[in-house]
This record gives sequence, structure tokens and C-alpha cells, in this order.
Amino acid sequence: MAVNCANLLPIELCEKVKNSKVFMVGAGGIGCELLKNLVLVGFPYIEIIDLDTIDVSNLNRQFLFRKEHVGKSKAEVAKESALKFNPNTKIIAYQDNIKSDKYDVDFFKKFNVVLNALDNRSARVHVNRMCLAADIPLIESGTAGYLGQTTLIKKNLSECYECTPVSGQKSYPGCTIRNTPSELIHCIVWSKHLFNQLFGEADADEEVSPDTEDPEAAGDAGEAVQKNLDFERVSTRKWAKENDYNNLKVFTKLFHDDIKYLLSMTNLWTERTPPKPLVISELSDTQDNQSNVIPDQRIWSIKECFDKFSNCLKELKERIKDDENLIWDKDDDIAMDFVTSAACIRAHIFGIQRKSRFDIKSMAGNIIPAIASTNAIIAGLVVLQALKVVQGRAKDCRHIYMNLMPNPRNKLPVSGYLCEPNPKCYVCSKSSIAVRLAPENITLRFFQDKILKSSLGMVAPDVELDDGKGTIVISSEEGETTENMDKTLSEFSIKNGSQLKCDDFLQRYEVTIVIAEASKEDLPEDQEFEVVGDIEQLKSKKDDVQNENGKNGKNEKDDTDFLEVISDEEMEVSEPKKRKAEDDNEVPSGKRLKTDAIEIE
Amino acid sequence: MSGSISPSKPVDKSNKYDRQLRLWGDQGQSKLEKARICLINATATGTEILKNLILPGIGSFTIVDGHKVSGEDVGNNFFLEKSAIGKNRGQVACELLQELNDDVLANYVDENVEDLFQVNAKFFSTFSVVIATDLNERTLLQISSYLWSCKVPFLHCVSYGFIGYMRIAMPVHTVIESHPDNALDDLRLDRPFKEFRDLCDACDLGKMNVKEHSHIPWLIVVYKYLEIWKNKNNGNIPKTYQEKQAFKKLIRSGILLNKDGNPEMEENFDEAIRNVNTALSATKMPDDVKHIFEDPECINIVNKSEPFWILVRAVKEFVKSEGEGFLPLRGVIPDMTSDSDSFIRLQQVYRNKASKDVEAVNKHLQNVVSNLSIPCIISEAEIRNFCKNAAFLRVLRYRSISEEYNSPSTIFLRQMAQRVEDEDDDLVYYVLLRAVSRYYLCYSNYPGIYEVEDDIMNLKSCVTRLLQQWKITCSIKDDLIHEFCRYGACEMHSIAAYMGGCAAQEAIKLITGQYVPFNNTFIYNAMKQTSVTVEL
Repeated sequence: MAVNCANLLPIELCEKVKNSKVFMVGAGGIGCELLKNLVLVGFPYIEIIDLDTIDVSNLNRQFLFRKEHVGKSKAEVAKESALKFNPNTKIIAYQDNIKSDKYDVDFFKKFNVVLNALDNRSARVHVNRMCLAADIPLIESGTAGYLGQTTLIKKNLSECYECTPVSGQKSYPGCTIRNTPSELIHCIVWSKHLFNQLFGEADADEEVSPDTEDPEAAGDAGEAVQKNLDFERVSTRKWAKENDYNNLKVFTKLFHDDIKYLLSMTNLWTERTPPKPLVISELSDTQDNQSNVIPDQRIWSIKECFDKFSNCLKELKERIKDDENLIWDKDDDIAMDFVTSAACIRAHIFGIQRKSRFDIKSMAGNIIPAIASTNAIIAGLVVLQALKVVQGRAKDCRHIYMNLMPNPRNKLPVSGYLCEPNPKCYVCSKSSIAVRLAPENITLRFFQDKILKSSLGMVAPDVELDDGKGTIVISSEEGETTENMDKTLSEFSIKNGSQLKCDDFLQRYEVTIVIAEASKEDLPEDQEFEVVGDIEQLKSKKDDVQNENGKNGKNEKDDTDFLEVISDEEMEVSEPKKRKAEDDNEVPSGKRLKTDAIEIE
Repeated sequence: MSGSISPSKPVDKSNKYDRQLRLWGDQGQSKLEKARICLINATATGTEILKNLILPGIGSFTIVDGHKVSGEDVGNNFFLEKSAIGKNRGQVACELLQELNDDVLANYVDENVEDLFQVNAKFFSTFSVVIATDLNERTLLQISSYLWSCKVPFLHCVSYGFIGYMRIAMPVHTVIESHPDNALDDLRLDRPFKEFRDLCDACDLGKMNVKEHSHIPWLIVVYKYLEIWKNKNNGNIPKTYQEKQAFKKLIRSGILLNKDGNPEMEENFDEAIRNVNTALSATKMPDDVKHIFEDPECINIVNKSEPFWILVRAVKEFVKSEGEGFLPLRGVIPDMTSDSDSFIRLQQVYRNKASKDVEAVNKHLQNVVSNLSIPCIISEAEIRNFCKNAAFLRVLRYRSISEEYNSPSTIFLRQMAQRVEDEDDDLVYYVLLRAVSRYYLCYSNYPGIYEVEDDIMNLKSCVTRLLQQWKITCSIKDDLIHEFCRYGACEMHSIAAYMGGCAAQEAIKLITGQYVPFNNTFIYNAMKQTSVTVEL
């Protein structure tokens, strides 16, 4: 049936395709499909960027890669594979971080359209801003299992990626992780921190020893066991190294001595089941009845955990002979065994139900299922959207979801009109945003790292005070404001109503942050700050707080299907938003893609 | 001529397939790895479908294609290279597709499907699924009827210009794991079973300190207060909104007070209150399952009955006797605030009850089987899985393509006249695609390839004849007929890629027996990005 396709696309569109330049961000699941489609449709000039290298677990869908490519750059291999098909296409590949300042607004401006094929929120936020700043249309897409979606983001035409605010990635308070875990996920987070403390780059926020400053334990700290205080003074890694990563010593320290110490903080255990310190000689080897499960889905006995843990210590010790820093990776078998065994041992100590390596991998790596067919569907749609953009018909693009099965109105994919930009969006419409916090508790470092970078997605912010002198308190220039970083906001007289002009030159993004003072009790549980949006929202927020007297009923029931998020790797989907559906007058599927834990409202 | 390309050494499958195992599990994967797929015609759509099945690791595929690779093929098909022009299309595609996954066995048959079917129709009956692209109407009807009689699932997929079309045909498809996305937990609080009642009764909320009190699983909390409620309300449980609100209040009143008279933080009570609405929904037999129980295949179990139906029958017998009108207990409870001992005890009570139900079902199963004097090939794990999913069983009965062509459904014809004239309804493209295949039968060519103007007239008359045959009066806009002629049977790569994804998705659902495939026709309009599924 194949006949000359030149007839099908209008001649002027073919001409436009021939003269267009495309930038594809990400060469993973959707990226591979997309690159193939772009080459076959005849796009003559494509640049691709991806920082990642190829992993075995990519091969079930990223078809431009073969097993002999494992470990190589995704961008490079994708380019080579696609060129084999059509050597006349000009493809430039970068194995690099999209957030690097090499890819500035001028870089983006040379393209006619940018296609996102990303797997994490932070890069999506960044590309969103770059495209808004450069005024280049961006086609966003994502998949999760059988579900998927795509939409167009264009300045002043449609919603941007950040028009619908989402709560940031779920984090757990330090004292829960270090002192009083109550769910398996707490033990998993602790184990990942332990991995970094022992073999990676130590981060002060990732301490694994008992936290003597736990407010709940107030009064207990006096009983501190001297030995433990001594330990605090040397880093975990140094201590482990001095003890040659001896499995007996490390195990006893973490799972016996530290637990004993926690028990000495008696206030913690008045209403909790106290943990039980473990002694190596008494480890149980009993297993549940698990006859019919494959090895990976069996729950390890505690004895088995200890053996695995010991083996991992030995293997990982070898890897850091040259004082290298390891980076935890869920697809690294030893690293995964380490976290599984440590998390299970800790769970056992705290009387928390253990799970299999397979399940823990899912939680620790925040794995979203991914298959070739869904990526193919979405990538097919992305190219059709791209053709519309190139043709100058951006407004004819649609927001499209792929459903698991036909919805009640018999639609398998559901398409809706693009939504107008949210007039309150602090990225594409407004230039100010309110943040609730306690200025005396927040250091500039925290303000920069957790608020400006993590929460608001900036890469290299500068911050100027409204003190009439335009004092720069945070500078993106290396070393210019280092001495400020440990000071609190109060020390710069930042108080309720203060306005901070925050500017990211790379993203050409400027926002004024209005400080709204809030005490710890006013803030959501375990949070040190809250980004509210604009001032009106702040006002209504206050009313809410007053209405909601006392206990908040932790409205989490709907969230139980979500994977808990630790890192935001493997996110191949963005938030489906409620919007007008074109061929379906209701909300498209009436639900959000449950798998995208990061973007839970 | 035919040939096969054998795979080389394997890589670690659990790592390679990690991301999909999380979607369909080991059982799904093992079914996939046993699947034998036949592709008729290695068009762009065909190879895209195969690509998406080879990557997740089907057992083997066989391409049947007698065409030689043309210049047009190379332009829209990623698995055909320029150097292959003139060679057999199936063979070339087979070689390139094989590279995608060493675990998959690749075969091709260099013969036209019509010829192969004439000499060896049986060849097609050996596959798990047969997928066809670019079939003319006559061959389509022949092959699909034959496969129907062999009960081999058949998937027909077309990318025509900006229109995509898919049709699934097989007599019946049964689904055990349908993965509903809004299933309620099976807790039976409205009719608590003995072991659960015993556990709850052994627990005295009045004699507990705060710590114990705040670690009682919410299920037990709800049970306790439900007993109190029932005593006061003639044994009835809260049903209306008001009653449920009052019941929540009752639970809240149970929260202990501290020495200052303020309520303690008892998260389990908060959970209990939050879960009242769903936890109190009445246990009932789902209508779908009732329907399945009445299916002749369930009522008349014979030697040749599929395991699915034998299991349905066993569960039906269970419902009639031990189940007292209800399905076997699922045996899974949600995570909740609790000390781990209480939680494990509670979990055990549900699990044990579920196991007991599985045993009872197994007994019925043995009865059913022994009456047939056939060996039971159903494992206990299968029975357990079946019981766990009993509430979500699905049976899809399809209409055959011959029925669709020879005796269109009356509902369809009734709607047709109206829907064809509705600009927002993509069903009109079904009529146009049917007219195009009618056109091909008459002219041995597709409209618009050489002479657009004449072809428009001819296509229009095909449309008219089709509508006459269906005895419906409506008109199809000239624009659409022009548009279809303009397509000139072109298979555009992005449409092929999209349809390739959609068809593979459905094929995987058919092979794994998980998730629910559509029934039975899917039409996609890439110009407007709209689509529709319809039963024809």
C-alpha cells in the first residue's frame, strides 16, 4: 500500500520542515522513538542532549540501543543509530546536563521547536523556563506504564509546565529518619543516606546516627552516652575506614549501639514501640512461607540480610580504594542489595514489616513502569504536534492523554484544547510569589538550596534586598557571598513583608519573593517553609489555617497508590491537569496519573 | 522460501525487563515469552507493531510477506534500509527486527499471504496472535474466518493517510487480572467473618493505655464501634450520609483524653473516621461476575472447557455454598497505623480466611474436574490468583469480521445514519475505509494514486453503494472523499508509529490476559487528534 508520501503533507509544510531546526531534550524511552520519527518525517537538523549512559534496564524499550552499548552515552548512540537510517540528517549530540550554562537563551533561540523527552521534574522546569524566555514552542510529553500524555507549551498561548502548582517532592523529617522510623520508606531513606555516608559524598542533611536534637527527646540529651558523642566528631566514612569496613563492627555500631543509644532517649518511646537492638549471634533465619515467589520477590530473613550486608560492605569497600565517591544507583546490584539489606534490618529492629528486594527497589528508585508501546504512541503524537507547530498552527495542538482502556465515552486517547496560561502563574504570568517561613530559622544557604533551587527550580540565582541600597545577599558568582550563607534571614533584617528580588540569569527568570512570617506551628507538619503563590492566595490560606482548628486529618487517603518519592529519577510523565476536553466534555479521565508521585497535589 | 535467525547469548532478563515486570508481573512476562506472533506484511505499521512486541520479549515472530522492498517502503519504514530495495521485505525486516532483542526467535516466510493461505491455512493456526496489515477485503475475510474457527486472536491494523484503524476479532477473551483502578478493599466489615470477630472481641479498648489504644488497627476500631452502633440501631449498619456522619462522631468520641481533657493524638482513630465511607460499603456480588456465572460456558463444563471456565464454575459453587452468596475473600488489607504485632495478626486473620476460601474453591474444582474424568492442570497458585481477582473477572465476546461485513449489527446501523453526518464523530472514517477496500476490489488499486479527479467519482460511488447496502440514508461530505483520495493510500510514518504503539498495547493485553482490551474497533483521526472505539 505504501505510496509516495510527498503528496500527503502540503508542499508548504514540507518546505517548512526542510528549513526547521529541532532540539530534543532527553534520549531515553520517548527520545528514541521520537528521534526515529523525526528522521523519517524528514526533519533535516536535530540536536539532542542527554547526560545519561545506557543501562541494561533501558533495553526493553529504548530500541536504538543494544546490549553492546551499555555504559555508552545515550545521546551519542542514539545519533549513530539514527544516522545509519538516514545519513543525510544533521544530528548533533551532547552528553551533557541541560542545566549547564552552555545552553543559554541564545542557544534555545536557534530552534523552531523544542521537544522534551525527559524523566524528571527539575529538568522539565528548567526547559520550561528556557523556552518561555526564548519564546520557542515546547512540546512536553511523558509516559507511565500504559498511560501517557503530551501537550504544547507556548508563551501567551497555553499553560506552561508550572502553571498548576504542585507540591514539591516528598521529604521526610530528619528525626523520623534518624530516630523514629514508622514506615519501611523511612528505613529505605535511611539506608540510602547510609550508603552515601559510607561510600559517597557525605551530606550534613543525611546523617544516619541518632539525632540528639530531636525536639521530642528534649531533656534526654543529657543522658548521652559518651561513646556516641565521640563518634559524632569523626565522619561516618572516616570511622568506617579506620575500622576497615569490618562487617561485625559496622553492624554492631549501626544496629546495636546506635539503637541502644536511641533507647536511652526514653521520651521517644513513651508512646511508641521501642526498637530492639540486634546481636549478630542471635539473628533469626526464619522465613515466611514464600514457596511460590521468584528469588527477587522473596523477603530475606534477618540472617540473610546480615550476610548480604556484609558482602556489600566488602564489595563496596573495594570500589572506593582510591577515595572515590560512589553514587547510589538502583540498577547497580550491589548498591541495591546494600540498601535492601540495611533497610530490612532496620525495619526489623523497629517492628516494621519488611519487603522484598523487588519492592524496595521500586520504592528506593521511585520506579515508574515503562514499556515500548506507550512511548511509541506518545512519540507519534509528539511529531504530529511538532508538524503543526512548524506549520504555524500551534493553536491546533492538543493536550492528549492515553488511557488504559476506552473511557465511558469510548475514547482510548482523549484530547483536549490547550488551556490558557494561568494568570497567577509565577513563572509565565506573574512576577511575585509569597513564601511563608520563620526568618530567624532560615539561613541564606537553606533559602538558596531548598527554596530557590529545589522548590522554585532556579539554577544559579542572584538575590537582591529591597533595602534601598540593592544589597546583593546571594550571588551566582562563585565566592562573592559565601560568608553570608550561614547567616539567617533575620540577620539581614528580612522580615514579614520584605521583598527579595530573585533573578536567574541563565533562565532569564526573575521573581520577587514576598516574605510572610510564619512560626513553625503555622507551617505544614515537618516543613520549614511553604510557597504559597501570590498574596491573595496567602490571605485565603490564612483563613484556612484558622478554620482548621487543631489536628489536621492528614488527608492522605487518596495518596496511598502513589509511590513514595525519594529521588525523582525515572519520571517519564508530567502532571495531567484538569482541562476542557475537546471530544469529551467532561474532565478527560477524571483522574490523575497515579504513578507520578512527585506531582501529587 | 523461509528462514530463521537464531539468537545469541542471553543477558540478565530480570534486569532487562525490570521496568515492565512492574506492570504485568512474572506471570504476564512468562506468557509473553511463550507467545508466537505472526505478522502479515512488513509495512511500516506492521514493523512498528512488531518492534513494540519484540522489545518486551515475545517468544518468537514470523513475518509472512511476498513483497519486494520498494523505494516508498524505505522512505517510511525504519526497519528497511535503502540497500534492501528489491529484496524480500519480510526477510529484510526480520533481520533488522531480530537485532532488537536476542531473546526473540525470528522467522520469515517469503510468500504472498493469499498463496500461503491457499496451500497451508493451518500454518496460521499455530500462533498465539496473528497481526495483519495491508490486507485486501477478500483475504481479510478468509483469514479472519479461519482464525476465528481456530480461536486464534486476530488483530487487523491500518494506517491510511491521517487515519488509523484497528480491529480485534476472536470469539471470546477472558481476563483474570483486569487491574481495575478504583477497586475498594474487600474488608467485609458489614458481614464480619468469625475469625475476624474473634480477634476483635479479644481486644478490649477499655483496658488499654494510650500507647496500646492508639496502635489498634483502624479496622478493629471500626468493628468495635460498629457493634455499639448496631446494638442501638436494630442490628443495622450506617447507610445514609447522616448516619455515617453520626457514626464518625461516635468513633471520635472514643478518642482518649489527656489529663487536661484534650483529645490525645490517635492516628488510628483518624484513619478509622476517614475510612468509614468506603469501609462500610456493602459487600456484594459484582454484576459482571453474576453475568459470567450465567454464561453457558460456565454452566456446561465439558472436557474441552478452558481452565478459566472450570475456575469460574468452582467459584460459583463456592458462592452457592460456603460463600453464602459472596465471593472468596481477597485476603489483602491496606497499610494502616498499628503496632506491627497487631497488624501482622490482623493480616494473618484475613490471609488465613482467604486461604480457607481457596481451599474450599479447590474442593469444588476437584469435584468439577473429577466429573469430567480429566486430569486437573490448574495449580494452587493459579486458584489463589483467580480467587484474589474473582471480583474483577472480565469476559469479552467479540463479533467476527464476517458478521460485521455480512450482518451489521442493528444497533450500529440505527446509529450510523446520524453519526456519519456528525462532524465530531470519527465513525465516518470507518465508512470511508470500507469504501476504499470496496474500491480496491473493483479497481485493483487505491484511489488517488494516479488520477485524483476520476478516482473521487469512483470512490464516491463506492460510498453510495455501501450505504445502500446498509439501507441507510445519509450523505458523506465531498470534502472527506476528496481528502481520502488525496491520501492515495499513503502510510505516514508518525501515524504508523502511533498505531504500532496502540496495536502492540492491545496485543500485549491479549497475550498476557491482563488489563482489558477494547471491543472491537478503534478509529483514530490524526488531523483532529480525536478517536473513537465502537463495537461493530
